[in-house]
Amino acid sequence: MEVERNKRMRIDVDKLPMKRLLAIDEIGNEQFPPEKSNEEQRLSAIHRIDFSLVVEKEKEKEKEEKDKELSKSKDGQQQQQPWQGLMENLRQAQHELSVILDLISTVEANDSVAVALMQRPKPLPNEALADFAVSAATKVQRLRHLGRYFKQCSKTMEQQVSKEARFYGSLIRLQQNWKVKRQRMGISEGFTFDLFDSRSLSGADSSVLTRPSPMSTIIIDQDAFGMLAIQLPQKSCRTLCLKFLGDDSSTCRIKNNTSEKNASSSGSDIAQPPSVKEILSDEDVSGCIGTTHSILRDIHRSLFEEKVFEMVNREAFNNQSSQGINVTGMRQDFLQLVIGQDSSLCLSLVLSEPEGEYKENGKDGSYNEDSSESGSSSALAPILLPTDDKNPTRSFSKPALSSKLVLSLQIYLLSIFHQETLSRAKEGHSSCGYLLAHFCMSVAHRVFSNKVLSILENLVSRVSYVELVSHPTWHSRTSSWSLRLKVPEASSVFDGGYQKQTKRSQFLTKVVIKDGQISLRGQSSATIVASFTGDATEPHSINTYTCDLEDLPMLILHQVASQVIQWLHEEALVVGMKTSRDLLCLNVDLEQGDTLSLMARVDPDDASACISWALAIPAVTDDAVNFSFYQTDSDNPGLKFLGSLSLESLYSALMDLANFCGNGAVC
Amino acid sequence: MNKAGAPSGGGAGSGPTASAAAAAAQKQRALLQRLDNDISNIVDSFSVLVSVSRVNEPPVRNSQEAFLMEIRASKLVQSADSLLKLVSELKQTAIFSGFASLNENVDHRIQAFDQEAETSDKLLERIGEEAATSLKELESHYYSSVARNFVHE
Repeated sequence: MEVERNKRMRIDVDKLPMKRLLAIDEIGNEQFPPEKSNEEQRLSAIHRIDFSLVVEKEKEKEKEEKDKELSKSKDGQQQQQPWQGLMENLRQAQHELSVILDLISTVEANDSVAVALMQRPKPLPNEALADFAVSAATKVQRLRHLGRYFKQCSKTMEQQVSKEARFYGSLIRLQQNWKVKRQRMGISEGFTFDLFDSRSLSGADSSVLTRPSPMSTIIIDQDAFGMLAIQLPQKSCRTLCLKFLGDDSSTCRIKNNTSEKNASSSGSDIAQPPSVKEILSDEDVSGCIGTTHSILRDIHRSLFEEKVFEMVNREAFNNQSSQGINVTGMRQDFLQLVIGQDSSLCLSLVLSEPEGEYKENGKDGSYNEDSSESGSSSALAPILLPTDDKNPTRSFSKPALSSKLVLSLQIYLLSIFHQETLSRAKEGHSSCGYLLAHFCMSVAHRVFSNKVLSILENLVSRVSYVELVSHPTWHSRTSSWSLRLKVPEASSVFDGGYQKQTKRSQFLTKVVIKDGQISLRGQSSATIVASFTGDATEPHSINTYTCDLEDLPMLILHQVASQVIQWLHEEALVVGMKTSRDLLCLNVDLEQGDTLSLMARVDPDDASACISWALAIPAVTDDAVNFSFYQTDSDNPGLKFLGSLSLESLYSALMDLANFCGNGAVC
Repeated sequence: MNKAGAPSGGGAGSGPTASAAAAAAQKQRALLQRLDNDISNIVDSFSVLVSVSRVNEPPVRNSQEAFLMEIRASKLVQSADSLLKLVSELKQTAIFSGFASLNENVDHRIQAFDQEAETSDKLLERIGEEAATSLKELESHYYSSVARNFVHE
């Protein structure tokens, strides 16, 4: 029993010291708890005592004592606290170092060491913050490095995108006009332009296959800036060249400046990338596309011209004798044909290089081997035509045709073969190999008509009242001109109130050339001169005849002179003169019964005047009237040579003669 | 000889067309799949980069995270490059496989060139006529000119 001061009382009552029954089994035996020893009884008694209150009291007392002590010694210990913490840390560090030293010594002694526990010292707040700062700084550095990496990659990718945009944009634009193929060359993949034209010009023999030229496949490349470029081997483009043997002029097409600037050597790119600027504008890209397009166009044209040359060669070889094609020289890139009787046409394939690099044919008309691309041997050597004695080094004194006309012939040759290709592709039929014959005949016609024209111009220049009028026929083997004789204005004569008028104002002589045949068509004589009714249709005979080149001047002069005679005859009839006419002679009956003759003399070789006139009064003799233009006035007093007269002069002379007619002629 | 499994009622003409259409659809699916893969790689790499950029307390994880950042950055760039290649392939497909547009373009060009040829022919005819007219005028002027008449006087 315990009694506390001013507190409640607590009484514990021990159990009576009597044996308590623990259990009774089924038999009836009683079980009592084991008897405890005195020590056990003493301990159990002590255990029943509750000392918790006492312990609490003592703790409260200690706490109060501590608070008192702390409050008393607080000021004194404040200054020593940081040093104590430092000293504490140093002690811990020393302890850890001693452990490490022991560990090292043990390891040096080759003793095994068993690590029981490793405990990391708890980091201080500033250490944790420092570590955090280091980690953050490291992260920031890494992120900056990544940022630079991303910037570099983005720049590279932008360049790549722009390069590809330029390349594929150019390719798509060029694909609108050209066939683009994908080509796998080993591991890498590339693109090519296919310029091969599947429409063959092999003629009726379709079994002849046309092999694609190595130039027909152009490899597409890409420069450092993504611009499209094409690889073109040097000296690969060839062009068709047409010329007459002995002419210095050539119709060969030379590369123009734009393609010459971008001409590449083997393996190098054509498009020249801008050397300084990295940013290419749309204009640069468009310019590159335009240049590439023009180069491809040149190559395509070169391939077509090669094909035309091949076709011409084949036709010449197959149809040489049957269609009048005369081949006098044939090589791999050269063909010589005889045109007409004195002209030779040379057709060749030459490199389309600038003039300085192109070696022209020799002036003596021989074919220079160096001018061909390959120096392979030929089946036939070119044959030189007989040269002029005065100029043995030159076969022809003047070119058969001017260079422009020769160029037009070349264009015509390409045009007819192109039309043949188109017709074969669209409709399936062909001209069965007559193109070369047609072309040769066209060239011959062109040469011949040139000669005829020069003759006509020469004549017209020497006859003042004749004009040359051209009639373009737009046909390659037909040419036409007209020689117009303009007479003075029609004379009006009143006779009994009626007005007689000649309605003729001109005479026409038409010259038509078809292939090598000249035909003349002109008015030569009139059966009815004028109609007194005033609405006469004047039937006249029109003569048509053919002639040679040598006879042409004489015939034309005859025609003109007869037309003049006819006109004078008509005018004489109008005024009432009694006249009769011959081909070149107008006979006027005079009052006394004499006959006055006005005669025309034609001389194509006369430099001043081709048509001259003479007046003759034939002397009355037993012999037939015989006089000649070659007699002088003194030889024949009845002949008066008048020379070249204009139509007005002739008309006035005729009117003067009318006074001597005396038959009622009215002048 | 028809392949096994080819449509029975369609005839010989529809078999290749159907197989071509199926091949085209499969190609389209494959391209779309590539596109999705690249885009998802880019997005995942970027999201992992952002998440790994967070600063963690244990300093020993920094090197690990730095390596992970580099890997993800490389993967991001690689996916972008793959996207560029995909775009190139699509452009090539458009150039070489767009037969409908190619044929249409060829027809347009043929029409344009035919028209231009016709225009050129008409122009040449007109030039010829004008040349003939001019020649006639020049000849008449020449023969009525003083120069020509003076020569013969």
